[in-house]
Amino acid sequence: MMTASNSWMVSWWEGFGLSSDVPQWVFALLALLFTYCFVVVPAGAALSFLDRKFSADLQARVGPNQAGPAGLFQPIADLLKLLQKGSLTKRPQKASENIWLSVHSMALYSTLAVMPLGSAALLVDTEMSAFLPFWSALVLALGTMLLGLGQNSVPGWFGGIRIAAQTLAGSFPALIALICVGVHAGSFRWSALAGAQGFSPWSWALFSNPFLTIAFLVFIMSGMIVMASAPFDGGLALTDIHGGVASHLYGRRLGYYRFGRFYVFFLWSVITVVLFLGGWALPGRLVSLLREGEAVRVLSFLELSWLMAKTFLLMLFMIWVARVNPRSRVDQITDFAWKVLSPFSLFALVGTSLWVGWGIGWGAPW
Amino acid sequence: MIGSGLNSQTFFKTDLTTWEIGPYHSSLPGPMRLKLKLDGEIVVKCEVETGFLHRGLEKASELHGWPSLVVYADHLDPEVAVFGELVTCLAVEEISGITAPPRAQVIRLLLAELARISGHLAFMVRMAKAVGSETVTHYVLRDREKILDLFELVTGARFSLNFLRFGGVRSDVTDGFIERVLEVCELIRVRMKEYNDIFTFNYSFLQRSSGVAPISKDCVRFCGMSGPNARAAGVAFDVRKDAPYLGYSNLDFIAPLGRGEGGVLGDVHDRFLIRLREINESMEILKQVVERIPDGPFLHAPVGNDYKVPAGEAYVRIESSRGLLGCHVVSDGKLKPGRVQYRVPSLANLMAVPLITPGVRVEDLPVVLASLDLGIAEADR
Repeated sequence: MMTASNSWMVSWWEGFGLSSDVPQWVFALLALLFTYCFVVVPAGAALSFLDRKFSADLQARVGPNQAGPAGLFQPIADLLKLLQKGSLTKRPQKASENIWLSVHSMALYSTLAVMPLGSAALLVDTEMSAFLPFWSALVLALGTMLLGLGQNSVPGWFGGIRIAAQTLAGSFPALIALICVGVHAGSFRWSALAGAQGFSPWSWALFSNPFLTIAFLVFIMSGMIVMASAPFDGGLALTDIHGGVASHLYGRRLGYYRFGRFYVFFLWSVITVVLFLGGWALPGRLVSLLREGEAVRVLSFLELSWLMAKTFLLMLFMIWVARVNPRSRVDQITDFAWKVLSPFSLFALVGTSLWVGWGIGWGAPW
Repeated sequence: MIGSGLNSQTFFKTDLTTWEIGPYHSSLPGPMRLKLKLDGEIVVKCEVETGFLHRGLEKASELHGWPSLVVYADHLDPEVAVFGELVTCLAVEEISGITAPPRAQVIRLLLAELARISGHLAFMVRMAKAVGSETVTHYVLRDREKILDLFELVTGARFSLNFLRFGGVRSDVTDGFIERVLEVCELIRVRMKEYNDIFTFNYSFLQRSSGVAPISKDCVRFCGMSGPNARAAGVAFDVRKDAPYLGYSNLDFIAPLGRGEGGVLGDVHDRFLIRLREINESMEILKQVVERIPDGPFLHAPVGNDYKVPAGEAYVRIESSRGLLGCHVVSDGKLKPGRVQYRVPSLANLMAVPLITPGVRVEDLPVVLASLDLGIAEADR
């Protein structure tokens, strides 16, 4: 199960002077910390900058340009501002919120362990792996709902209920779309899901059969619904319920909350890339060259970079969609999820199953 | 059991919630209060309370000399200040029995139509904001700046112009103004197509606006509504057509009517489209007018602090970007106005809110309010 600790992680930690007698759980913990500090947090900072600049370009604005060259340090400035505004313990009557926040964060970030980041960087690679990120999305939705309901205000209630309704509606097609890929790859292990695809776009699951293309579109759209990202963010709408769930958050709490949302967005994009868009697959010759040279660290780094590049492009694409489109009403969102996405996902599942069952490949029938 | 005489309606029956929004809230067009009764997310009853922005504008107008009247009129509706000035000046001129010279009339008309375009663009911004389309708000605001630039070019100010005078305007138009107006018309014509592509015919926006909160002709009559909201409901009344002023009768333009393109006549989508069409018509008017600005004086006579208006009273109406704007001025022949009273379109439009909101979802409430183009400043004055 802990495949990471006996390959790339070990070489890293040995480089830092840790011996190999250290227990497995220490390796696992260090791996999680490493992933969080050196992958997730920098990705959050980078994406917040890219998001702002990209949106500014789309919207005929300038965007951040004061902190550092071209506003590059804006994420750091934001972080410092949020950190100095209010503390978690200054309002004792809100202690329940602190408990909520810590439990929520622990549950949320526990899914770091299943985040697939490269052929060697797979901490949990089981038949359940591909389903575990859903845990993260559902925890986020449940936590967001409870946060809204706990505010004891009408915007909070509406926000919480809307989030719950649309997450419920969005999870079903997303799960079915995921099963399509599993049927195609023959397994739900990250290694198998990624291994079924190659470097060339034509070998990606997205293009390997038409039903998977449908599944991909369903997965992306239902993902946006589950994550309640714009334009499907009725529960967090600024107009009618002035932020809904987030309307009472400020300072560090707001920072935690926002970063939790970013994390699920990031996680969802990573697994979309791994499931449909070729994952971390590099050109076969390069991989065999690096493996022969035993340059596992270089290989891991290149794989991670390639995966991140695709992930960021996908995230920017979703941001683009969000910026261009008006917000949908929550009853329209749930309608869309149940009546449009779900039938399409089931259609894709049947189609993929038949395709795989009859052994059709693009070259086979003719 | 559910089968025994209980249908889903009664089985899932919920208690009504009360929610008060305001005076300050992101979904409101200005300071006002909504008292909502909600069944789930659906509005059952909506009461409107206004007056939070009451500044005693009409009373204040009586406390100062006649020239200050224009300055106060500016603040009747700060967003489209020209209309307040225009209607006040027309009323005072009617009492005095003077007419502005032809050149001044054309300059006034130009400013009024520019203000209409500016007001309708601001309406688009609020609609886009209400449905969460941030990109469109930035695009439209960017282009509205061009119109404010034109105001700045002519009057030196962008919002509170203080430019119209009894019997004319404060100063002549500057060189190159006409070219700039035509340039801006061309720019907006091109940009309107972009807005249509990205927003007006965006599927999500159509879904949000079609069939939502329609206004019936009865509602228009009951509330005394006018302007684009009434025309969207199919009531063909436009002061520019039915009681022309400033030489509108010599111009070739139409007052568009709602066509029920969203499925129901007078719904949010109709109200949105009609403003887009009015922008086009205003640009047509501008193009016709800039070609024939007559030469001559731009002011009947200078207006000083000792300006006096002969005793008498007058009521004048014009078509502002929000509807019929009336002004009743009473003069008792002194240095200060006897009574100044405005009949504002937004108050009538505000009356429609409790009538059209039942059945609307909470999420659509900002959209409905934005689609009515309520000017709280002029309603509360």
